[in-house]
Amino acid sequence: MQILIEMKEIIKVFPPNVIAVDKVTADFRKGEIHAIVGENGAGKSTLMKVLYGLEHHNQGEIYLAGHRVNFQDPGEAIAHGIGMVHQEILLISQYTVWENIVLGAEPVNFMGMIDRQRARQLVQKKIDEFQFNLNIDAKVDDISVAAAQKVEILKLLYRNVSVLILDEPTAVLTPQEIPQLFNELRRLRDHGHTILFISHHLEEVLTLSDRITVMRKGKKIATVQASETNKTDLAQMMVGRTVLFTTLREKSTAGKQIFSIENLTYIDGAQHKRLENINIKIHEGEIVGIAGVEGNGQFELVNSIMGLIPTKEGSIRVNDVNLTKADILERRQYISFVSQNRGKMGAAVKASILENVMMTHHRLNPQFTRWKGLLLNDQYARKFTEQIEQQFSVVMDQMDNPFRSLSGGNQQKVILGRELLLSTPFVLLDQPTRGLDVGSIEYVHELILEMRDQNRAILLISADLEELFRIADRILVLHRGKIVADLPTDQTDIEEVGYLMLEGKENDAKETD
Amino acid sequence: MNIITGLINGMISGATPILLAALGGTFTFYAGVFNIAMEGMMLTGAFFAVLGSYYFDSWLMGIVCAIIGSLMMALIFILFAVTLKTDEFVTGIALNLFALGATTYMMRQIFNVKGAFSNPGIVPIPRIHIPLLAKIPILGNILSGQNLIIYITVLVVILSAFIIFKTRFGLRLRAAGYNAPSLDSSGVSSAKIRIWSLIICGVLCGLAGAFLSLGYVTLFSENMSAGRGWISLAAVILVNGNPWGIALISLLFGFTDGLGLLLQQYMPSQFTSMVPYVATLIALYFYSIQARKRKA
Amino acid sequence: MQRKLISGIIGILIALLIGALIMLVQGYNPIQTYAALFNFSLFGFYPLATTLRNSVPLILTGLSASVAFASGPVNLGQPGQLLIGALFATVGGLYLDLPAFLLIPVLILLSMLGGALWSGVAAMLRKWFNMDEFITTLMLNMIADFFTYWAISYPFFDRSAYSPMTPQINTNGWLPIWGEFNSNVIVMVLAFFVIYLVFNRLTAGYEWRITGHNSLFARLGGIKIDKNYVTVMLVTGALAGLAGGLVVMAGPHRFLKGLGANYAWDGVMIAVVANNGLIGTLLYGLFFSALQTGSLGMELITAVPREFIQVLQAVTVLVIVAGRGYLDILIDKTIARQKARERAT
Repeated sequence: MQILIEMKEIIKVFPPNVIAVDKVTADFRKGEIHAIVGENGAGKSTLMKVLYGLEHHNQGEIYLAGHRVNFQDPGEAIAHGIGMVHQEILLISQYTVWENIVLGAEPVNFMGMIDRQRARQLVQKKIDEFQFNLNIDAKVDDISVAAAQKVEILKLLYRNVSVLILDEPTAVLTPQEIPQLFNELRRLRDHGHTILFISHHLEEVLTLSDRITVMRKGKKIATVQASETNKTDLAQMMVGRTVLFTTLREKSTAGKQIFSIENLTYIDGAQHKRLENINIKIHEGEIVGIAGVEGNGQFELVNSIMGLIPTKEGSIRVNDVNLTKADILERRQYISFVSQNRGKMGAAVKASILENVMMTHHRLNPQFTRWKGLLLNDQYARKFTEQIEQQFSVVMDQMDNPFRSLSGGNQQKVILGRELLLSTPFVLLDQPTRGLDVGSIEYVHELILEMRDQNRAILLISADLEELFRIADRILVLHRGKIVADLPTDQTDIEEVGYLMLEGKENDAKETD
Repeated sequence: MNIITGLINGMISGATPILLAALGGTFTFYAGVFNIAMEGMMLTGAFFAVLGSYYFDSWLMGIVCAIIGSLMMALIFILFAVTLKTDEFVTGIALNLFALGATTYMMRQIFNVKGAFSNPGIVPIPRIHIPLLAKIPILGNILSGQNLIIYITVLVVILSAFIIFKTRFGLRLRAAGYNAPSLDSSGVSSAKIRIWSLIICGVLCGLAGAFLSLGYVTLFSENMSAGRGWISLAAVILVNGNPWGIALISLLFGFTDGLGLLLQQYMPSQFTSMVPYVATLIALYFYSIQARKRKA
Repeated sequence: MQRKLISGIIGILIALLIGALIMLVQGYNPIQTYAALFNFSLFGFYPLATTLRNSVPLILTGLSASVAFASGPVNLGQPGQLLIGALFATVGGLYLDLPAFLLIPVLILLSMLGGALWSGVAAMLRKWFNMDEFITTLMLNMIADFFTYWAISYPFFDRSAYSPMTPQINTNGWLPIWGEFNSNVIVMVLAFFVIYLVFNRLTAGYEWRITGHNSLFARLGGIKIDKNYVTVMLVTGALAGLAGGLVVMAGPHRFLKGLGANYAWDGVMIAVVANNGLIGTLLYGLFFSALQTGSLGMELITAVPREFIQVLQAVTVLVIVAGRGYLDILIDKTIARQKARERAT
């Protein structure tokens, strides 16, 4: 097969000095499905964004069918037949399917008016041609994620794009929807399209792709034929060492009950039941994991426990103290919280590290203040920050620097340290390892186990089943706002939990949310 | 009868500058620009209208100069907020104060007066008499004999609604506000759309300014926009940018303006002058109550 | 800190350069003009004392805006709060008969009460009806403008005057003047220290700052952001009100039309250039005051009208603010490009 795209020694540095893509040379052939695999932050997406003209490389050359190209913006890339579907759906939810598809390439009449009829016809023709099942007049807001992804692909096909870049397309899909997408992609390949496919799920990469390029820390490690490799080899190349999917659990004897949620139901403003009759009990020294596809009530559960949304039905207790109606400060005497979004909920990134470390402590620990809480005790806060720096081996320059000057892993260490030292009986962890590198993830897991050993009750919400199986004692499965299973980890396996996460979907495929 | 036609005519001319500026604001609103510089653009427009009209002895040149003046403000906004990525709010605040300072300075510099410049040499924008319409009983005095700008404004409302909801530019304009990355990824630069929205806003605020100083009255006075730009911003927010809604709400403000004049017989003028601002607060109150209901 | 100082000085220099260009285009001599400007504002005891005195309302309204913006609320109501504060102090000064050592503090407190009352209206509208303070404070500015205009035209009108103004307040309420030095500066410095202490050292100030950075994080941390919102609005209103009270007590000793001038909007600009930093607000306030104070002398010596200063101020703000953001991006980009080049070889 002929080489269609060549990327030569591409370097991309994010200002001021994060090397995202480090001298990568790769080629992509016409009519192949080419997977690009690597961990979070390996530079896969950045490399593809450079090809698409969304990011501009600092060094290196790109050739398309032998001609040197340098796209300034996606418009130019599309004009040359290269299109990209982003990881997060980039559609305008207020627009209909056909409006989204034609946006940027709209058929118009002489007055500059959009020719609705022609636009809808053109879109319908493409849908029929590629056998996508879509209603062109539906608002994007009302269609499922899988359908929205099809719209993204159609949007590119409508522009007669021959190279499709897909950034982790399966991340938003349920396992049932994945084979359908793969069939569509294979069909496209057989039409002569080239498909570049970013992923970190090795199994799907092996089933779908013809060739695989592995990246690690901005560098290309290798390009291999899918038929000549296997999961273990790929994992080793991705991570740089042998990965042991070992469990860290050990049989712990659960003590008295610390945390309980009883009959919690939450109905949102649009009258949707987001949580239904939730019951959770956690004992001291116990890690309870919540598994579930994102958007099945995790967000509402966290917000209810933290008091961000009012609880009208049901109760929340820690140590027999009823916190159902308590204000947030009172809850924080009993609950430590690590959120999934550091920048939004876990820290004020522009404030200093010191100011971030003392949050909540300044209210709960009288040593942080003088004059009956009126005046801050700067000395104590500094000592405390030093303690966190040492105890959690945080790499920081000066504690007066802004929080965002820390790397992601160090930010999470600071947040974990702060919450851990609140010494509360109950700890709520919402995807505490999201977006971290492997080393940091391992450290976070150790910390969580340490907390367990201090006899705290821990609720761990995670989208990563391997993480849950690694450290949780029990796994609850959240589906459509209901807890559909409560399984001791050693009596179940990933397949069973994965099936339970989706089971409801199989019985009732229509989206309600 | 005369009182009522007077009130309606007062309402229409009170509404016009707010409506024009708000229509400008609606383009930037849809494009996702936090544009609070309408006040400054309008004020600059008003000054240049007088300048053009006075020096060229022509109201048409007055309008042209008003648009040029207001456009210069828009270009500064573009330079800072779009090109240099300065905070839009900060740019808006600084630009409004720049407009206030610059017009006061230029009035002093060019006309050698302080406070206000009025001169018989300033040619006002004419009123248009439409022979057929004028003969209709009662309505004739409202439909005919209005200032040219008022007829233009009616046209602009219709045109804005058409452009925003029916044309290619409109589809992209709204897309820029709803989800700029999506538009960029579709191959259309959202920055360019923002720039165009600001240019349109500049033109319309220029017209609004021209009406203020060559239609509503025939003079320029220091800070003569008097918060109308802010009211137009409130109008845009209140109806989520819909041009028809803006027309309606501007007429409401115009009505309170006219009402204020009428009430002057019964209470001190300072209180009647407050009416449009109080009306804005009341409108905001209803908007907030509505928004809260929708949420709950 | 050092980077801020340097970028501030460079920004001011560029702005002055742009100002010079404008003057050149109009046929004025920029060197002569700037010499006159700073001669009448900085060089000499009298000019300095005048600049200091004039800086008081600028700095106080600037502090009001800085503290508000840095804590979250977009309080743009300084103009209105200043006027109501001035009116409260004036009315108090007209009707209260107390010895100076009592009357002065009472009038100061009254002016702060007036400002806080006016910002409190906006705070309540937000608290009860969720109305955005950004627009309500602007509307309240206009309403305060007309209301005080009415107050000095009718109920508190000085019958012997030809234009709207009140009679002079009780002389016991006049701020003492020592030579050229007006004691309003002392009140301002005191207010600065208090607000600096509150904002940087007290628990409350810490909570305000964090809320200004990220209100959701603050809320999750146990901070009562709604209560703090009201407090910040009241405090910043009081600061602006104090500015108004001091204008009356230090200057004309009465409320006359146009008393607020453009102090409060200048204060907002000062907060913006200072990036809501308190020390920055103080320094830029002094600089703006020097410009405004010198403008009279400039007009006297050269033909440049003093309104030119308003233009210069706005140019300064735009240049510094745009430069601050853009310089950082530019420096970062250059470093990135260099690093990439190193990597390639």
